[in-house]
Amino acid sequence: MGSRSSHAALIPDVENIRRETGFSQASLLRLYHRFRALDRSKKGYLSRADLQQIGALAVNPLGDRIIDSFFPDGSQRVDFSGFVRVLAHFRPIDDDTGVRDPKQPEPLNSRTNKLRFAFQLYDLDQDGKISRHEMLQVLRLMVGVQVTEEQLESITDRTVQEADEDGDGAVSFLEFTKSLEKMDIEQKMSIRILK
Amino acid sequence: TSGRRSARKPAPKAEGPPGRRGAQPGQKEPPRGEPRPGSPRRKPTERTGRRGEVRGQERSAAERTSERRRKGDDRASFKEQRAPPKKEKEALREEETWKRPRKPRSSSLASGDSGGESLSEEELARILEQVEEKKKLIATMRNKPWPMAKKLTELRDAQAFVEKYEGALGKGKGQRLYAYRMLMAKKWIKFKRDFDNFKTQCIPWEMKIKDIESHFGSSVASYFIFLRWMYGVNLVLFGLIFGLVIIPEGYIKYSALFYGYYNNQRTIGWLRYRLPMAYFMVGVSVFGYSLMIVIRSMASNTQGSTSEGENDNFTFSFKMFTSWDYLIGNSETADNKYASITTSFKESIVDEQESNKEENIHLTRFLRVLANFLIICCLCGSGYLIYFVVKRSQEFSKMQNVSWYERNEVEIVMSLLGMFCPPLFETIAALENYHPRIGLKWQLGRIFALFLGNLYTFLLALMDDVHLKLSNEETVKNITHWTLFNYYNSSGWNDSVPRPPLHPADVPRGSCWETAVGIEFMRLTVSDMLVTYITILLGDFLRACFVRFMNYCWCWDLEAGFPSYAEFDISGNVLGLIFNQGMIWMGSFYAPGLVGINVLRLLTSMYFQCWAVMSSNVPHERVFKASRSNNFYMGLLLLVLFLSLLPVAYTIMSLPPSFDCGPFSGKNRMYDVLQETIENDFPTFLGKIFAFLANPGLIIPAILLMFLAIYYLNSVSKSLSRANAQLRKKIQALREVEKSHKSVKGKATARDSEDAPKSNSKNATQLQLTKEETTPHSASQSQTLDKKAQGPVTSSSASNTLLPAPRHLPGSRPPGSRPDSGQPQSQTHPWRSASGKSAQRPSH
Repeated sequence: MGSRSSHAALIPDVENIRRETGFSQASLLRLYHRFRALDRSKKGYLSRADLQQIGALAVNPLGDRIIDSFFPDGSQRVDFSGFVRVLAHFRPIDDDTGVRDPKQPEPLNSRTNKLRFAFQLYDLDQDGKISRHEMLQVLRLMVGVQVTEEQLESITDRTVQEADEDGDGAVSFLEFTKSLEKMDIEQKMSIRILK
Repeated sequence: TSGRRSARKPAPKAEGPPGRRGAQPGQKEPPRGEPRPGSPRRKPTERTGRRGEVRGQERSAAERTSERRRKGDDRASFKEQRAPPKKEKEALREEETWKRPRKPRSSSLASGDSGGESLSEEELARILEQVEEKKKLIATMRNKPWPMAKKLTELRDAQAFVEKYEGALGKGKGQRLYAYRMLMAKKWIKFKRDFDNFKTQCIPWEMKIKDIESHFGSSVASYFIFLRWMYGVNLVLFGLIFGLVIIPEGYIKYSALFYGYYNNQRTIGWLRYRLPMAYFMVGVSVFGYSLMIVIRSMASNTQGSTSEGENDNFTFSFKMFTSWDYLIGNSETADNKYASITTSFKESIVDEQESNKEENIHLTRFLRVLANFLIICCLCGSGYLIYFVVKRSQEFSKMQNVSWYERNEVEIVMSLLGMFCPPLFETIAALENYHPRIGLKWQLGRIFALFLGNLYTFLLALMDDVHLKLSNEETVKNITHWTLFNYYNSSGWNDSVPRPPLHPADVPRGSCWETAVGIEFMRLTVSDMLVTYITILLGDFLRACFVRFMNYCWCWDLEAGFPSYAEFDISGNVLGLIFNQGMIWMGSFYAPGLVGINVLRLLTSMYFQCWAVMSSNVPHERVFKASRSNNFYMGLLLLVLFLSLLPVAYTIMSLPPSFDCGPFSGKNRMYDVLQETIENDFPTFLGKIFAFLANPGLIIPAILLMFLAIYYLNSVSKSLSRANAQLRKKIQALREVEKSHKSVKGKATARDSEDAPKSNSKNATQLQLTKEETTPHSASQSQTLDKKAQGPVTSSSASNTLLPAPRHLPGSRPPGSRPDSGQPQSQTHPWRSASGKSAQRPSH
């Protein structure tokens, strides 16, 4: 334990990060190691290229979008706290049985925030709506070349129709939440971080 | 991998716009505008080779999960994701939080105690706080304005919590005990997770089948799943027969395959193993086990399917948002995933399309009648052909030195019919224009009729033969007795020395009809197997090779044009499998070794067909989901099982066994062995009980009772399913009402703010409702309204014909509840007069 905390002390600003993200010290340490491993040239921050070398992201049709989510506001680098903040969306939800202080902001790993993270993967222009066009783009990435444009469009139309409730031809975050109501997001969007 | 990725990404844009599905004769491009996953180019062996490579720990774990996610039945992965959370937990152990613990906090606790056995200060404080809180809750429980049930559960939870965590707060022993318990719990969970992984890995051919599924769709995969299941069943049957009959009889030689090899000694060996009895019981339990397993899996299939119907609200949204598996880190798996997502989208499109098809009813009807007529003609023709051949073969059997062809004519003709009729039916079925899934069922039904007709004609002929043999046997029996009598009583032999028993070959032998029947079945099975394999080799593989390699030097495009590649014939293969199984069931009583042969056959077919399908078939032109056809297969299997039970039961109950061969020789009927065992080997009171049980006075009421129970259960299940359907309808209606409300409201507010961009919005349906309120009813509008009332049959908003009708139209409530549809003239053929979008598109 002693050596562990001394390691953890290496992480800059560890207490704040911990409070914000809710990760345990051990997980933070683990993430820090990962961060350092990804940061190949020891810059102290990660660039897009660093993240692109991750295999699972490279084959993922939404990989670029995921990487984008690490770089809000067009910045080109992400430091450790930013890195952890994104990953905090995937922290398993712990069973706080509703005793949380309502004044505090919702933790990053709440269901809503998880969903919001997923939502912004599709919301390319970040206007709070997944438009038909955006959906089409994502779909193209997902099915590759094997489906005709016509079919792609009809799939998109159908999806929008299903989820769209207020008739604006786009899927808002609320509608998105609703269409995934039955999905067990808490489980699906959780990553177990090894100790 | 980044190279691969960049190659993929721009591709859709580079690909031409619509219309590239059509064959472009000039280009030597695969006809369907997609990389042919199954074409020989793909080199399947290389694939599997690569798959075998060792990957990083993380990767393989991720893959396993992805496999597991996609496993289950023949649905796309996203469906599974909707499964109830409990199932989820089992399926997704890997990437999920290590099984979210019941008790609060334990995840953070565990992170603390993972290093040593102690807890950090902070965590202790948190626990302390919580425990205090719970204690307070317990104390104030009485005053809370909760219902009793809630109070009780809360109380129990709180008490359990306090009990559990108080230990952690204590010093020394209590804390250590607690830490130990946590450690054990963690170990146990990890063990369970590992065990689950292990179980998944133990499912044979899972990877192969998933591979096929992702390229050919769930319907083709369902055949392989069925094949695997069948293999399992046969393995059990084989174990039964092998363990209880073949091994006890002693060393195995060729003839152990057949009935006549076994003798009728009541007991063998020092264990006094009762072979005839065992033989009889094994024969019965082969059927018993098969019946049980088929019915059980049918029942479990239906259970799965009942909970499914309600989930089709967001089919496309689910596919769109949740189908990618984010743990895939391997490009090959990613390829498979791409393929499977595409396939599942295609399946949904076909489903949508079919439910909204506009067609000329009269023409379709005429064509369907015509097709059925043609097929009945074919069936009659094949029946007559078999009858004719069987009659001829009876003549041949009387003649001496017949040629090889004449001896095997029946089998050859049957195999040929089985080979050529199904494609013929398929050609005819193209006239009918059914949804592929329904078409598959018709096709299955027809081939079923064909095979059944063939099999029963064959059986009847066989029965004729058996009766003939039985009548001959009487005379042979007399001769044998006479010979033996003469042998033992002949003079000139010293009476003090007992005579050596006469060698069986020196006595005239009966024909042993059971073995003859067994041989017939064996011949049929083997020839069937050979024909299947040859068909695959010639019809699929050679054709694929020819198309592939001759395409370079041919005057038209072979891949796009006439011969093309073969599609995997699901119906034919399924039925082939089912009837093969029927033959095994029938034959296994006369030829116990048949099951062993069948096990081998299924094993080879698994590999052979997997290879063939991946190397030389192409996906169906219209991919479709196999939802629940598994149960249809099972139903057919059950029917075949029953039909194959009949002849066996008939022979057991009413034909005398051969007098000098087989375990039942010398008995009047085969089932006498049962009586004999009861009389000789059981205590007498058991015999009495059996006799009592066999009394018709008891059996008839028992049967009646069973009928009553079936009737009762049936009516209960009917009423339950009705209630289920009604509830589902209610939910649907509620959702639609809600949606339409919102749509009206949202629209109204949206119009206040801005007007322009909506006019080009594609989903006109939502607009429709608001328009009705504002503008007076025009003719076209009332038509569309009416169309909406027609529900899913109509076609409406989408600009193209691919995915027309939204299933949940705002106005699709029952007409009575529709506030704004009082237009009587709108009842005229709505879906033919209005051609979709022109009537629909809002005009402002």
